[in-house]
Amino acid sequence: MSLPSAFIKNVPASASANESFIDYASLRALVVDDYPGMRNALRLTLSNFGVVKVQLAANAAEALFHVKNKDFDFILCDFNLGDGRDGQQLLEELRHGNLISLETVFMMVTAESYYEKVVATAELAPDDYMIKPFSAEILRSRLDNILLRKRAFREVYRHFMAQDLESALVACDEMMQNHPKYVVDALRFKGELLVTLGRFDEAEALYKQVIAMRAIPWARLGLARSLHLQKKEEPAEEELRDVLEHAPSMVAAYDLLADVCLAKKDGAAAQAALEKGVAISGKTVRRQQKLGEVAYGNGDLDVARTAYTNTLEKGRHSIFVTPADLGNLCRVQVEQGDLKAVADTLKKNKSSLQGSPEGKLVMAVSQSMMHNQAGNLQEAVKALDEAAGLRSEGTRCDPQMMLDLAGVCMANGREGEADGIVSEVARNAHDSESLLAKARKIYDDAGRSDAGAAVLASATADVRKLNNEGVVLAQKGDYKTAVEKLLTACGEAPYNPRIIMNAVWVILKYIDQVGMDENMINIARKHLAEAERQAPGHSRISGLRLHLKEVETRFGMNRT
Amino acid sequence: MKFDGTALYAALIHELKNNLGLLSMTLDSIPMQVEPQHDGTVNDARLLCQSVIDRLQQALLLYKANNQQLQPTIDAYSPHDLLHELVERAGALSRGRLNIDAGMAADVPAVWFFDRELIEMALLNAIQNSLAYARSIIRIEASMVDGCLSLSVRDDSDGYPEHILTSVATNTPYRATGTGLGLQFARMIVQTHENRGRLGELRLYNESGAVFSLLLP
Repeated sequence: MSLPSAFIKNVPASASANESFIDYASLRALVVDDYPGMRNALRLTLSNFGVVKVQLAANAAEALFHVKNKDFDFILCDFNLGDGRDGQQLLEELRHGNLISLETVFMMVTAESYYEKVVATAELAPDDYMIKPFSAEILRSRLDNILLRKRAFREVYRHFMAQDLESALVACDEMMQNHPKYVVDALRFKGELLVTLGRFDEAEALYKQVIAMRAIPWARLGLARSLHLQKKEEPAEEELRDVLEHAPSMVAAYDLLADVCLAKKDGAAAQAALEKGVAISGKTVRRQQKLGEVAYGNGDLDVARTAYTNTLEKGRHSIFVTPADLGNLCRVQVEQGDLKAVADTLKKNKSSLQGSPEGKLVMAVSQSMMHNQAGNLQEAVKALDEAAGLRSEGTRCDPQMMLDLAGVCMANGREGEADGIVSEVARNAHDSESLLAKARKIYDDAGRSDAGAAVLASATADVRKLNNEGVVLAQKGDYKTAVEKLLTACGEAPYNPRIIMNAVWVILKYIDQVGMDENMINIARKHLAEAERQAPGHSRISGLRLHLKEVETRFGMNRT
Repeated sequence: MKFDGTALYAALIHELKNNLGLLSMTLDSIPMQVEPQHDGTVNDARLLCQSVIDRLQQALLLYKANNQQLQPTIDAYSPHDLLHELVERAGALSRGRLNIDAGMAADVPAVWFFDRELIEMALLNAIQNSLAYARSIIRIEASMVDGCLSLSVRDDSDGYPEHILTSVATNTPYRATGTGLGLQFARMIVQTHENRGRLGELRLYNESGAVFSLLLP
């Protein structure tokens, strides 16, 4: 057989033998599959590559248990795990809980190439896929490739894990220079870094650069996301609608489209987008929660109820489900007048709610709403007393629920208690239009509109005044007084994310100005952690965290 | 009693795929005994199993195409890695019976954009063919042709029969069984790959044996 001379004989090894050598005998593997036959077959296959340290798990719960107790170099996980969480949910919990490092390979095994379309563009995509049935050689080749890629990215990951994002960016650029094979992977990682750093215009340019090579879906979604983050909602929407026209099963695009629609204050369009996403992939708890929230905001109680019910059912084992989700469902059921359903919901979830003070408070508030609606005043009062007791011990739950509690208090003549609750919510959410509107409605319904206006005004006035003064002082460069004002504001509104973030910001500026102050930096750390609890994923938090990190590094306080 | 036929079919296919995967892995793990009768039988079983897998995948593909769902999932992949995977798999299927060779032209870029699963499926099917007809060698190649990435499987068989070459060259359908069936799927797969108005192509020709080429724009 004649061969053209332009061909190099045999596929050349891209690196020296040493660089591309993978010592499988030293690797620790976790195999997650609900089917015992498959687990054993995979173990046998892996042992043929020399992988001897193999842990088997039959479901997500077992996998989580092993991951918490041991480090793994790679995880081979079937998408379909029978009842309970699926492989994608497991991956989300592992990444969100920082249970696996970026260097750990997560490979999803699936029976459907369709799966790839559904999640390939998600923020939490696995490192690679294997579509069943597959052979030992293909598995081995893919593992080789992905382990080598992780090795090539080691520097990028190291900087990223040390939260030194600037250096991680530089390392990405070096990857592109030195490893043309990983140029697209490096661009993808760099795009995410730029978004985290808030450099949305640069991210936009980067995604356009990828699209110029090929309009691959994740790049188009990245472009839409960076446009949305720059408040360029129209072009973002246009991009997403076009993506979806060509690939209607791309769920991540519906999630982003919903955010864009909400930014445009088009709740109906946001709901329509989320409903499509849920129809394709309804197992994602956060998509169901968001649909519930948006539908409730739109007054579509039927859809909200279904979404909250699904949240609880699909998320039975999920870390993303909290007592607030149960409260949300109960609220919708009360508003629908379906009190039997409320009672059933509470009965069914009794044991999980009684596991935490917050859960007990949610239970008490829901019961008070239910009994109040049914006219069981005696029972309602009993529930209100229970709630008051929990609150006096310092227990809180989400602000919507707190306002529900205020509403029932008001209806039962406990006006002082209602005012106190509303005042607390308002102080901690002085800039939340929707919460303040809900509070106002409670007073309107009770015929106490003027009293409500007064409560809200006095509750927010101090906080607002202190915050504004602090910000103005900071802008003038008087960080010292700004810190005093904002820390006073934090004392009044200890759970107000806006105030807390402003306080952290002025403390860091103050240290920039006058030098290290150990006490202050400790306060900043504590407050930043509280801001993260109150507003997880808020766009300002990553910037503040980086600023804090930078200050710590500058003064030699490395806390990695 | 009424039951949901579609869901039942889906569940059955799922089971079938799981079982086939296991069967394939089990067959692969049977050690050679350097005893012609034993080894020959095991090898035949392995090849047969792979072709059942091929046919099942094609059946699913057809189902999707009928539902207008055959949309490729394009991403950036390394042609080098794909070639390596195919050579490894072909080597395992042939178990030393044939010489498996690989060639990568110097001008092939480090990354190219395609649907790895679909393209690999089409190429594995071509390899499967060559395993049946080649005399001594199969060569898997990547090169650049007309601005496209060309992925080829060559062998030293008698080559494709005339009617197959004609029908692929003229893009006309023909009654297909065996080899022809796989080629129809390969053409369907490669034609879902589109870039700036240009469609992917399947090219077949004889040149000291059969040559199967996918051109990816």
